[in-house]
Amino acid sequence: MKPTRGQLITAFLCLLPLAVLLVEWHNGSLSANPIEALTQRTGRTAVILLLASLACRPLRTLFGLSALLPMRKTLGLAAFAYAALHFLIFAGLDFEFNLSWILPEIRQKFFIQIGLIALILLLPLAVTSLRRLQKRMGKNWQRLHRLAYPIMALVLWHYFIASKGDILLPLIYIVFFIILMLFRIPPLSKISIGSKPRWLQRLNQFLLS
Amino acid sequence: MSKPINSSEITPEALYLSRRRFIKNTLTMAAASLYLSACGGQTAAGPTAQPTSSLPLPSAGSSSDEMGNALTTYDDIIGYTNYYEFSTDKSGPTRLAQNFQTSPWSVQVGGYVNNARTFDIDELKSLFDQEERIYRMRCVEAWSMVIPWIGFPLHKLLEIVEPTSDARFVRFETLYDPDQMPGQRNSFFPFPYIEGLRLDEAMHDLTIMATGLYGRDLSPQNGAPLRLVVPWKYGFKSIKSIVKIDLVGEIPTSLWMASGPSEYGFYANVNPNVPHPRWSQATERRIGNSGRIDTLMFNGYEEEVASLYDGMDLSLNY
Repeated sequence: MKPTRGQLITAFLCLLPLAVLLVEWHNGSLSANPIEALTQRTGRTAVILLLASLACRPLRTLFGLSALLPMRKTLGLAAFAYAALHFLIFAGLDFEFNLSWILPEIRQKFFIQIGLIALILLLPLAVTSLRRLQKRMGKNWQRLHRLAYPIMALVLWHYFIASKGDILLPLIYIVFFIILMLFRIPPLSKISIGSKPRWLQRLNQFLLS
Repeated sequence: MSKPINSSEITPEALYLSRRRFIKNTLTMAAASLYLSACGGQTAAGPTAQPTSSLPLPSAGSSSDEMGNALTTYDDIIGYTNYYEFSTDKSGPTRLAQNFQTSPWSVQVGGYVNNARTFDIDELKSLFDQEERIYRMRCVEAWSMVIPWIGFPLHKLLEIVEPTSDARFVRFETLYDPDQMPGQRNSFFPFPYIEGLRLDEAMHDLTIMATGLYGRDLSPQNGAPLRLVVPWKYGFKSIKSIVKIDLVGEIPTSLWMASGPSEYGFYANVNPNVPHPRWSQATERRIGNSGRIDTLMFNGYEEEVASLYDGMDLSLNY
């Protein structure tokens, strides 16, 4: 199926943080500890994109923007890509794929275990984003993809424990996630602006085409 | 008769001083912007606010430590620091500490001593020979550097004040001045920064008070004008910008012990066998190098300091 304009724009925006990272890495401007910077920034990008994907549904209901639903898929896939990259940087760049280093790290560190579980749980969600599989799975697809919420909670937990001084940022994301969760339950989940203004209708049409 | 002045109308001294500082900073900034505009868009080169031309070039007596590890570059040492009093970001202190006032500066030494007194920083520099010590610095965050410090052994200072027989620990305190150190407003941490050593650790010849590095005065983000350096302990033990040193009888509670008692103990000796919940303590990355290397017991100073901990369980006394 042809991607919508909204999906193309989203994909482009999702690639920007990676492009910036690569340029900074190339220039040597990623601090004196570039691997730490790469790990932290890919992780943070994954968190933001996952939160953005979860925000699509409430925003759709609130403003009647049906164009957000296909974009949600792009955001989710990009979040998974950044999370996988985050793990690969940890295992490959940082610990040089050396199992005698990596395994004790995983065994000793609770926050790595949580992050790893979240990543493993994201995998089936990413795989089943194929439209053909989605059709075949019917109602089960929706059930499976509700996992995104507990995964988000795990990711934020992972991020919070991994932070030392900068817990303000993870706290902001946690508050944002709680607000999103509140919009899943009635009466908040039913709130809508009703009839859309013309420009919103046009925006929706534009993103859908 | 003049109207009596209500005590509530008198500007508190702290506020008065902060206003003075504000005026001074504003003038400095105005002068700096004039200077910069006069240069026709040329940006000031060099990492510090001082004119670089007036500083000696970064230099060290050797290009490596006693194990043959190459020195970390000057730019990495002054550009990548943990100094939460300014910022929790590693490059933040380099930016935010530039106008930090390190002169005049005095250090109060007291507690269980015979000769309690206050030292001026210039006096400390002239009282003791300033020698170079090339030490490995291992941060608890699993990165490390090799730094050519300038300073003097702490025991020389302690010998002058003469600890009494009641003195068992040394307690150090960093300046508390949120106007100059914006990070101290961060309510997640109980500032001022406190650190401590057992008296025998403090008397050890490897323990120094640093006043410079690479042949230059310390930069503010590295803890100017006076900091502790204890090379066999994680970097956070080496407290910066010290204003107070007390000889005490009880174990001092450091800032990190207070904010994360399960993660940070009093001893904080570099130990590859005691894991930390967040970072690998078995391996580390030397800043400037790409690979990971094994972390050494007591950061490679085992021969010199292991006897200090004879009979102690280091996994309990972490």
